[in-house]
This record gives sequence, C-alpha cells and structure tokens, in this order.
Amino acid sequence: MAADGCPFHQVLDETLGLSATAPTARLDVPLMPLGTAFDMGRADDGAPLVDPRIFDTTEFQRNPYPYYRILRDHHPVFHDTLHNCYWVTRYDDVTAGYNDDEGFNTIPKGMSNGVLGNTQLELSGIEHRRRRNLYGRHLVGQALDKRIPIIERLAQEMIATWFDGTAPEGAVVVDEARPGRRSIELAKAFANDFPIRVVCQVLGFPDEARSQFFYWYSSMMNGLGGSETAHIGIRARQDLEDYVADLVDARRREPTYLLDDNGEPIGKDIISELCTTVVDGDLLSAEEITSNIALIVGGGGETTRGAILNMWYLLLQHPEQFDAVRADESLWGPAFHETLRHSSSIGGQPRHTSYDITVRGVTIPAGSLVNMVDFSANHDDRIFADPEHFDVFRPDLYTGKIIRSGYDRDGRRSHMAFGVGPHLCPGAWISQQEAVLGSKVLARELTRHGVAVSIDAERMPKDIDGTSLAPIGLGAIRSLWLALEPAT
Amino acid sequence: MSAFRTYEVYQRARPGQPSAQFRARQLSSEDALVDPAAVLAPLRAAEPCYRDWPGNAFWVTRYDDVTSVFTDDANYETRPLAVLAEVDTHGRNLGDEVEVLRCLERTADEQGEAIARRLVAEMSADMATEVCLRFPFELLCAALAVEPAAELARWWITLPGAASWYPQVRRAGLAAFDALAAWAEPLLASRSGGEGDDLLSVMASLGARGGDVAITLLELDQATVPGVLTNVWWHLLTVPGLQDEVGADHLLVKAAVLETIRHSPPVVHADRWARREVERFGRLLPEGALVRLSAAAANRDPAVFGEPDSFDIHRRDLCQREARGQYRADGLASGISLGTGVPTKHPAVPEDRPRSRYAIARDLAVRVTSVVLDELPGLHLAPGAQPVIRSRRFGEPRMCWSLPVVR
Repeated sequence: MAADGCPFHQVLDETLGLSATAPTARLDVPLMPLGTAFDMGRADDGAPLVDPRIFDTTEFQRNPYPYYRILRDHHPVFHDTLHNCYWVTRYDDVTAGYNDDEGFNTIPKGMSNGVLGNTQLELSGIEHRRRRNLYGRHLVGQALDKRIPIIERLAQEMIATWFDGTAPEGAVVVDEARPGRRSIELAKAFANDFPIRVVCQVLGFPDEARSQFFYWYSSMMNGLGGSETAHIGIRARQDLEDYVADLVDARRREPTYLLDDNGEPIGKDIISELCTTVVDGDLLSAEEITSNIALIVGGGGETTRGAILNMWYLLLQHPEQFDAVRADESLWGPAFHETLRHSSSIGGQPRHTSYDITVRGVTIPAGSLVNMVDFSANHDDRIFADPEHFDVFRPDLYTGKIIRSGYDRDGRRSHMAFGVGPHLCPGAWISQQEAVLGSKVLARELTRHGVAVSIDAERMPKDIDGTSLAPIGLGAIRSLWLALEPAT
Repeated sequence: MSAFRTYEVYQRARPGQPSAQFRARQLSSEDALVDPAAVLAPLRAAEPCYRDWPGNAFWVTRYDDVTSVFTDDANYETRPLAVLAEVDTHGRNLGDEVEVLRCLERTADEQGEAIARRLVAEMSADMATEVCLRFPFELLCAALAVEPAAELARWWITLPGAASWYPQVRRAGLAAFDALAAWAEPLLASRSGGEGDDLLSVMASLGARGGDVAITLLELDQATVPGVLTNVWWHLLTVPGLQDEVGADHLLVKAAVLETIRHSPPVVHADRWARREVERFGRLLPEGALVRLSAAAANRDPAVFGEPDSFDIHRRDLCQREARGQYRADGLASGISLGTGVPTKHPAVPEDRPRSRYAIARDLAVRVTSVVLDELPGLHLAPGAQPVIRSRRFGEPRMCWSLPVVR
C-alpha cells in the first residue's frame, strides 16, 4: 500500500510538492531575450512576484532591466529576506534617500571596508565632509581646469602609439589579409591606462607605480562586498599598502606639488595633502591615508575606464548618434551623461536606516541595509521616457555641469551614476573631463588619420543568439575591439 | 550616529586570513542544505564570526558564542515570525500565556500517546509523512477540539511559509494566515464564556480574536517535534544495531532524542538582530546587524563535544536535563534546539507552572518514538530507499521528508 493513501500525506504532497524533485539552492533560470523577464510567479492580483535568488544569477547580470522594472512597478521597496536587505528602485525614492543623510546613513565597516579599509564612503555628516574636503578640491574647479591641457596631451600621446607601433602588447592587431585594416582593443590601448595616468598625477604617485595600478584598481574593485574574488582584492590592497608606506613617510617630511601646464605649482598633490593635514587635532594615520588612496585608485580608475568603454560601445552601435557627436564636439558631454544613465558602471550605494522609516508603505526597521539602486533609478520611466533606449539627444536628462541637487531649474534630472546629495562622487568632474577629453582627442585623431571606426564584431563576445553583440548588463564591458579602416 | 567611536575600530581583512578561500555562496549552496555542519566547520575553526556580505549577516558558529547571544536579550533582539511575515499588527501571540502552555501540556500528556498509537496503526508506507509530520497536526487538532480536516491541514502546513523569503511559499503562507484567522473567529465566539478547556476556549477566555489564533499558531514552532522525530528515526533506521539497542532499553530513547537534537537539529540556524552597536567575537556588529546563529555548527563544536560528528547515544558530555536558560546543567552542554528558542522564560519553574515548550517537545518526541518501537519492532527501510536529511530551501527545517519503511 502506498503512502499517498494517507490523507495527510496527500495534503503534504499537494502543498509542499514532496513527490516532485526537491527545490535546488540556486534559481535555475534560462537566459532570456533582452528586455524580457523570467516568470517568477504571480500574486493573486496578477502582480509579478520576485524570487530574490534572481539577483544571484547570470541572467540578472546580463539582462537586469526587466527585473528592475518589475521592482519599480510592483515592489518599489522590496524586502529581500534572503539577502537581508531592502531594494529601493524608483528614481524619486533613491534621490530622497541620498539626500536624507540623517535617516539613511552610511555605516562604518560597510561593503567596501574589507578591501579598501576605512574610507569616507562609510562616514556621514561632519566626519564625512572633513575628509572628503581633504582632496575633493583637487578634483574640481580651478585646480582641475589648470590641468586640462595636461590631460589632453596625455590622451594624444597614448593614441599616437596606435599608429607608430609602440602601443601596449596585444592592443593593436594588424590584419594582413585586409590591407589598411587594424583592430584596436580600446581597453588595453587606452581606457585601462588613461584614467590611471591622470589619477597618478593628481595623487602624486611616482611614474614607476603606474605598472601596478591596473592590478590594484581592478583587483580591489572586483573584490568589494565579499565577492568570490574578495581574497584577490584583499591581497591587492595589502600590496598597495606596502607600496604606500614609504611614500607616506617621505611626503610627511617633504610634500610634493601638482604643477600646471607651465610648471607652476597648483597645490600639494593629494597624497602630500593627506600626509600633512591635521584632522580633529591629529594627522591621518598611514592606514587611513592608504584607505583613501585605495578609494581614489578604485574610484578614479575602474569607473572612468568603464565609462569610456561603455560610451564608445553604445555610440558605435548607434552610428547616426556617433556621427552627430563627431560633428559637434559639444555633444560629447551629453553622450557621456547618457552613457552613465543608460549603462553606468556603478550600480548603487548602500545605506542604513538610522531609525524606522516608512517608504511606499513599507516600514524599514532601524539598522536595515537599504540598497539604493542607481541602475534602476536611471531606467525609471517615471523620469526618463523610453529608458532602455540610448539617446544622446534625450530632452529629459540633465547633461550640464554636474550638480549636487540632481535637477536643474527646468526640472530635468541627472542620472544617478554619481549619486546626489552629500555623497555625490567627488571624482565626478575629473571623470567627466577624462572621458570627454579623451574621447574628443580619440575622435579627432581618427579623423586626422583618415580612418573609419566600427566595432570589430568578430572579436567581441556575442549574446545568446550567437550573432548580436553581448549586452553591457550590470557594470562595464571588459574589452572593446575597434576596427579601423581607411575612410572611403 | 556618534562621532568617531566606530570609525577607529580596525578590522580590515588581511591576505591569508583562514576564511579567505571561503565563498559566501557556500552558505546557501546545495551542500549547505544537506550538511550545513560540514560547510560551516572551516568557519568555526578559523573565523567564529564570519561576515557574509551577500547574505548581509554575521554567522556565529561556536557553541559558547551561539549560546551567549541566545541569552543576551539586552543586546540582541528576536524578531517573531509574525514580524518577519509582516502580520504582527493582526493580533498577538498567546503562546507564552500560562493557560495556553498548560492546555498544550495537558493535551500532550493526556492524548499524545493515544494519537501516536493511532497514527502508527494507520501507517501504510511512509513514517515521515504519516507519523512524524502528521503527529503535531493531529495533536493540535486535539488541543483545539476540532476535526483534523484536510483544509485545516493545508493551512497548518503552509502557515510557517508566511515568513519565507521564497515568494510563492510566502504568498501561500499569508493566505493560510488569513484563512486561519477567519476560520477561528466564529469558533472563538461560539466557545467564549463556555466551560471548555480546549485551546480555542482557553484563547477565547483570554479575549482572543481570529488574528491572535493565527499568530499563536504561526509562532508555535512547527519544525522541532516532526524534525526531531524524522531525524531520530533516520538514525534508528540507518545505524546498524541502534534500533535494537534502543528498543531493548527504552531509557535510551531519551538519550537518542537528545543526541539527535545535538547531532541533527531540525532548525539549523536562528536569527537575532543587534539592538545597538556591539563589539563581539572580534567584530563590530552595527545596530540592526543580522546575527545568524548556527545550531548545526555549534552542536558539532569540538571544544564542547568529543568526536562531535559521530552520533553516540552514550556520550557523557551532553546534558540530559532541560537546560533552563543557560544551555548548561550539571556542567554539561545541551544540544541547541533553536526551534524552541530559549529553553524557558521561567528560570525557576514553580510546580504549578506548565513545563517549558522545550520540555513538552522533547517529551513528545520521546513518547512517539517509544510508541513506534513498541508497536512496530524490527522496522526496516523499504528496499532501495535512501532517505536523506536535508532542508528543502535555505532557512527551512532540515529533516527527513520521506522514510519508507517495512516491517
């Protein structure tokens, strides 16, 4: 006699599905067509449900936006009890959270701490302002303006190597079968190293440290948040600390200075500034200086690299927009901002509630982790029409001078890649200058050499259909192969 | 947030740290569903408070650390299932009321054995579903003095899912919660003011509404009794000679149950939240931090139990008495049974108080196991059966969901 003769067994089987295969720990989800979400079930009112395991899948990394749309439309404050956090996904809620430094605080020992160490990312209020101001002024205003010619010349020098045979190994491939055609890997040939060299100069790092920079920033950024590669990030951070130790001693004794294009001192470089500044009656410790350097290295390297690669990847997939930008250099700014709206390389910022706060009817207890999802805010169609579409001419995106408020007098909103409010990215301005100046120079040089540029699709990763280019998904593409051919 | 107090606490990860090779995803992996103690053993040895970033939790794995958090209500908050299910405003939990405990104790003592004998007599093939998992439901129906209808069984089974992270299970659980509350309302009204000593009458006398009944049932701990029963029988059926030995000396049944609670606890971890910023276990736990206390790992702590991975009903280092609030009596550690929470809220139990839920659950497990040994001596696994103890999903009870048996 079978057990299913027992009425209780039958009810158990119906409700728990005992006779079916036991559920697996991971969500078994296929890769879906872009823009389409995997069906995770429906509530009684027809609203789509969200299985929090989706956040751990390859599908989500590759095709996140339909899932964010579900969250925004049906669960704008989603309590994810599997990951013990709340996901806030609408633009207005994210910006309100960023601007409410009191209610949504940053906590010490946050996600970046394990690798970067104690940084201003984890501070709020006056503590945050004091530390941020130590080097923030080097990255904006006159100090930055005076350095623009140096940044521009640096880009020219790097791009010149593509044509004179001195480009980094593996960055340029000449196609013997197709005369005049060459393939350039933009990351190796430019985007990996260009932000590093700018940041190196602003920090006051000796030139010989440059060779280590890519290792430091890519390892540390990939190791944040206890990721699978955290141990690599931790090792890189230790390596950076070992390198910086002697430098700190030297700069404490003898600060060095940033120079403008004429060799005139602009002010102390950032490391010297950190080494000699007294905060709350005390010098910063070597550990704290290293942590801040780690933050600048990571923030200044990886994010700008991603912005440059994503911007060129998107523009080249929209040739009419690319042509317009090349024809009118003032459009590089909007192109940069639209790239960061459409495909930012930073997903969001964690915050913690200082007290119980109710948002959209959901009460978030004090001390809870709230993930403010910039990716989703940037694709909120309550703010940006047709948000999945890349459009440098978009009228609803603020693309002017970066502002802390996040909106202009006409009510246009900025993207969230730099955040808003007190924690607005201090490197936003220099990052924009690097990406825009570098891209301008690159486009000019391509014109000067009489070459047409397109994506070298043969060398690029493909999407699941085997023919389309792989989507950017969350983060930034790792490499971008350009095909350069004589212009017809 | 206050000044510099926390910022200066230095705890950056270092290369070569023993846990550096540990992957947080292991904590919710298939391996962890089947054998969490094995997955957590490296953490217990190397990093007693592991920062699980993807799960946003701190995992505590050593016995003394786990029990220290359990008994530290000043620093750590327990969030009831009703809060996690976000139904806490629908009523109140009456489970700790003396009258309710007394009713549960009385039903367990007076009817538990008879119910067990009936279920064993009716069992056709699968002891896990037909006896172990069914028994608490039948006992509850007896306590409520209602017929064990299929609908009620469905609500009872799905109710704990109201606090689940899994959306479909949560939805079903919340539906069951509402259905139970609606079902109880007229029953409470009809039994209010009566002379009955059943659970509904007792709750009616306490002024309960339907929502109170639903919350009380939600918080009643559905996992420990059936989980201990399936797991003890998994051992009795798979360890050669063990069933014969225990069957020959029923005094060993209690030892087998207690060793099962230690070796194979059905509730593998419990959650607490830091009420304020606490520096413990070499870490800074921020206010609101989720501290995940692993019974699976703590109960196998070699610092407390000799040869912790072996199932040994004769072990001398396990407390045989109810540990009242301290997890230790006679200087010995007890197996942590998280489903029952802190063993009792009354450290010194006067004679006129009912036994704690821990004691009631333990005694029920002993009684049902004894009944099965009496009624079905020489039980064997069905040919080809390979039952496993596992959690179906992360956070769900770890028990044996199927035990096909033959005489």
